[in-house]
Amino acid sequence: MTTEEFGSAQRKNILLTVIGLGLAVLVGRLYQLQYVYRDEYGKKSEENSIRTVVKEPVRGYVYDRNGELIVDNRPSYIVMLTPIDFDMRNVPLLAKILQMDEESIKDKIKKARQFSLFNPTRIKRDIDFATLSALEENKGLLPGIEVQVESKRYYGSPARASHMLGYVKEISDWQLEKLGEYYQPGDVVGSSGLEANYEKYLRGEKGYEFISQNSKGQVIGNFNNGKYDIAPKDGLDLHLAIDVNVQALAESLLTGYRGAVVAIDPTNGGVIALASEPDYDLSDFSGVTPPDVWNKLNDDENKPLFNRATLTRYPPGSTFKMILAIAALENKVIDENWRVQCRGYFVYGRKIFKDEHVHGSTNVVEAIQRSCNVFFYQLMLKVGLDPWNEYAREFGFGQPTKIDILEENAGLVPSTEYYNRVYGKGKWTQGYLVSLGIGQGEIGVTPLQMANYAAMLANKGHYFQPHIVQTIYNPSTHTTDTVAVEHHDIHISERTWQLVREGMRRVVMEPGGTGGAARIPGIVVAGKTGTAENPHGKAHSWFIGFAPFDNPKIAICVLVENVGYGDSYAAPIASLCMEKYLYGEIIRYQKVPEQPPKEQLPEERHTTTTASR
Amino acid sequence: MNTFFKEYFDRTTFFACLALIGIGLLSIYSATFDTNAAINFHKQVTWAAIGFILMVATMLVPLRVIHRSSMVIFAISLFGLAAVLAVGHRAYGSLSWFGFGGMGGQPSEFVKVTTILALASFFSRSDTNMGSIKDVAKAFGIIMLPIALIMMQPDLGTSLTFLAMFVPILYWAGASNFLIVAIIAPGVVALAAIIGTTTFLIALVCVGAALYFFREDRFFSAVMFGVNAMVGIFVQVVYEKLPLYQQKRIATFIDPNNDPLGAGYNVIQAKVAIGSGGFLGKGYLQGTQTQLNFIPKQWTDFIFCVPGEEFGFLGAVIVLGLFAVILIHGVRVGYIAKNRFGSIIAIGIVSLFAVHVFVNVGMSVGLMPVIGIPLPFLSYGGSSLCSYMIMMGLLMNVYAHRKEY
Repeated sequence: MTTEEFGSAQRKNILLTVIGLGLAVLVGRLYQLQYVYRDEYGKKSEENSIRTVVKEPVRGYVYDRNGELIVDNRPSYIVMLTPIDFDMRNVPLLAKILQMDEESIKDKIKKARQFSLFNPTRIKRDIDFATLSALEENKGLLPGIEVQVESKRYYGSPARASHMLGYVKEISDWQLEKLGEYYQPGDVVGSSGLEANYEKYLRGEKGYEFISQNSKGQVIGNFNNGKYDIAPKDGLDLHLAIDVNVQALAESLLTGYRGAVVAIDPTNGGVIALASEPDYDLSDFSGVTPPDVWNKLNDDENKPLFNRATLTRYPPGSTFKMILAIAALENKVIDENWRVQCRGYFVYGRKIFKDEHVHGSTNVVEAIQRSCNVFFYQLMLKVGLDPWNEYAREFGFGQPTKIDILEENAGLVPSTEYYNRVYGKGKWTQGYLVSLGIGQGEIGVTPLQMANYAAMLANKGHYFQPHIVQTIYNPSTHTTDTVAVEHHDIHISERTWQLVREGMRRVVMEPGGTGGAARIPGIVVAGKTGTAENPHGKAHSWFIGFAPFDNPKIAICVLVENVGYGDSYAAPIASLCMEKYLYGEIIRYQKVPEQPPKEQLPEERHTTTTASR
Repeated sequence: MNTFFKEYFDRTTFFACLALIGIGLLSIYSATFDTNAAINFHKQVTWAAIGFILMVATMLVPLRVIHRSSMVIFAISLFGLAAVLAVGHRAYGSLSWFGFGGMGGQPSEFVKVTTILALASFFSRSDTNMGSIKDVAKAFGIIMLPIALIMMQPDLGTSLTFLAMFVPILYWAGASNFLIVAIIAPGVVALAAIIGTTTFLIALVCVGAALYFFREDRFFSAVMFGVNAMVGIFVQVVYEKLPLYQQKRIATFIDPNNDPLGAGYNVIQAKVAIGSGGFLGKGYLQGTQTQLNFIPKQWTDFIFCVPGEEFGFLGAVIVLGLFAVILIHGVRVGYIAKNRFGSIIAIGIVSLFAVHVFVNVGMSVGLMPVIGIPLPFLSYGGSSLCSYMIMMGLLMNVYAHRKEY
């Protein structure tokens, strides 16, 4: 029986079938691995064997209009940990050296492990020399720990310009989500001011180096001899319209106060100075911001992190009177000879609106010169809300100026539509308008808008989008690009410009003007003071102006909060800043003994010294 | 001369074998050329030359002479295997190497050949009756001798290949279907029982059906079914009683993915190597997994990853295709050989090759547990290369004498 079975054709076929099935299974499996899942395994093998090392580009530098370096980079030491090489038993020792708590180190290692065992992760940034030497001493005990050098922002200029420049800091989770895939945890990113707005230019492009490693994570060499490596592209340099000397002076003059200075070059819209006080030290952010520093800045009731130059929304007071004068003259509601008898007060309905002085008979130029409230109370009622609003908007109020930092408030200029919306139709009266005539009430402007307004007055309506950055220099291609800027014209008759500007000239230059404190030796200055009453204490002191009168090179706005009259605080600060800009130095004290300017008020020098303490 | 070659020379086996040795040398070179094991390539070339001489010699020795001396050769090889236990040295955790002159020899590889010879000799005896339990037991005895010695080394993987090779030989020699089922069934049931109760029950039902289908004696079938059920339950009870770490080891053995950084590491890296090769491969010497030594001692058991990664699906299929040529041709030689001794040798060689290819490649692609057995002709190792080439010589010898009774 068995003999017949030996080597039978049936048994041969069964053996062949088993062999065939076995081979078919193997081929099928190979097809699955090598064809269906090839991308997945391909990716895994790359992750396995090639370590990507990010090469950080050098962040772009920032220069002022005269080529003075404002921001550059300095080396800082950073502790890196490679999970595969690190022994978890060393956590307490590491924590002791770095003065961190063990839990947070463990947490970071855990996160890093999930990412990759072989990629070094940042454990602590910006360590000091004591920590560095302690690490070096214990190097043998801490495998997997290495110290790397990276660059951090360095601010060597006399101007702090904190709000304008803005800070860079380690990227937060929400930024990571919002800013997209270029970034990875631990990157630094521009988070306010110019650093944020020009982040794309300043940061450059990361480079990548591909390093082959074996199964133990040991580096074998550059993958494919570095054929695929991507060199980092350094960030671009910003050249600002800012004059660091004016900026630094403005900051020093504001020290001890809450306020802002914005100066604009009316010929091109370049921002010469943009200061906000109180400010903060950008160096506190350049490495690791200690939580106590951060909390202190956040809790300070003077809000040092708040950019007053572009974000405050205060009534502008009398500095706004030129808007109403222009609206009245352009709409032919009055002519230049129309006069008002000022008795020092104005009655509307059952309400009395006060004036500072009894100005007597006043025309429009004199009303600007002497800041006669009664004149403008009456004028506002004659002009009406919407024509006034139209001109306010023409001069850029109630909307952002589109300056090149992201922190900017649009402000508010009321209109019929606005009052109807807020109070309801018919539920507000013309009486609401009276105080708007002198820039009080429900009106909010930023110092930046005011400086821009001064620039428009200086340049007779031809104005530019205010901008801090003028040119961007690419160090790798050695090319310079000029930032494109919008420019516009406000169409107003030449005669109206003459009248309003004459009024402003008289404010500073003529006896009886309210802004004598803004004079500069040898230069004709035009301007307007403002004293904005507010419920939070003393009035806000405003000044806007420009100089020289016939060929304006600088337009300025100064706001000092809760100090009183515009002429006492804001005007002298504006005067000194303009002098510094136009002469390159403060010349008034040098010249005092030889030929004292005739109408220099002793009071002015007093206030100047107060302001600059 | 031409007609002589046509009639007696087995070109199919010869060229498929040389092609595989060529691919093997290329693969070993790729896996070792920039490591401290670079010397292995040169050693393997030497072994291939020695193997070639052995192959030709084996082909030319008259089959009759081999037949007559096969039991003596078997006895001598077993003696060598026993000697290893006394004087051999350890490699990778098991004792199986003979050291002489800087080149290690592994007698268990040669015992594979001699065991086939011994079984062929036994089954071709005219008085061997496959229906007699006594003779089947004798055959078991022949196979258990080397297995026992190899288990003492201990080398479980090699022992299992002996058992796996034994079943087709038994089948070819004329064992009843029932006997084959009875031999295979307990192993299948035991494995299924480790995996889980459901698989155990399914396996038991299948075994029951097979035992019923191939039944010769109802009572005996029922007894076998009972034995299988007992085996399964016993395995489950013992498995449950094992300490957890041992359970884990067994679970990892069955599915390496359970322990990705331990025992499963090689398998995962091997799968990544092969999968990342894609359809056409990364190019010779360009495989990152291979070149960066992600798979420890890749030139031995995981050598299949090299063609898989560097030559892709195409390369892997070519390797399997060459094996398929040898296997299918081998079965055909076994079928047409008029000489029983030669016929069983052919089937024995095919079985041994098939087991090695299925287990080794299956392990590399993650279908089989990690059992340390080489891939014929490709894996580094002088003894195994030589013994496989001797087997090819035997197969060619059987082909040449296929028409003799």
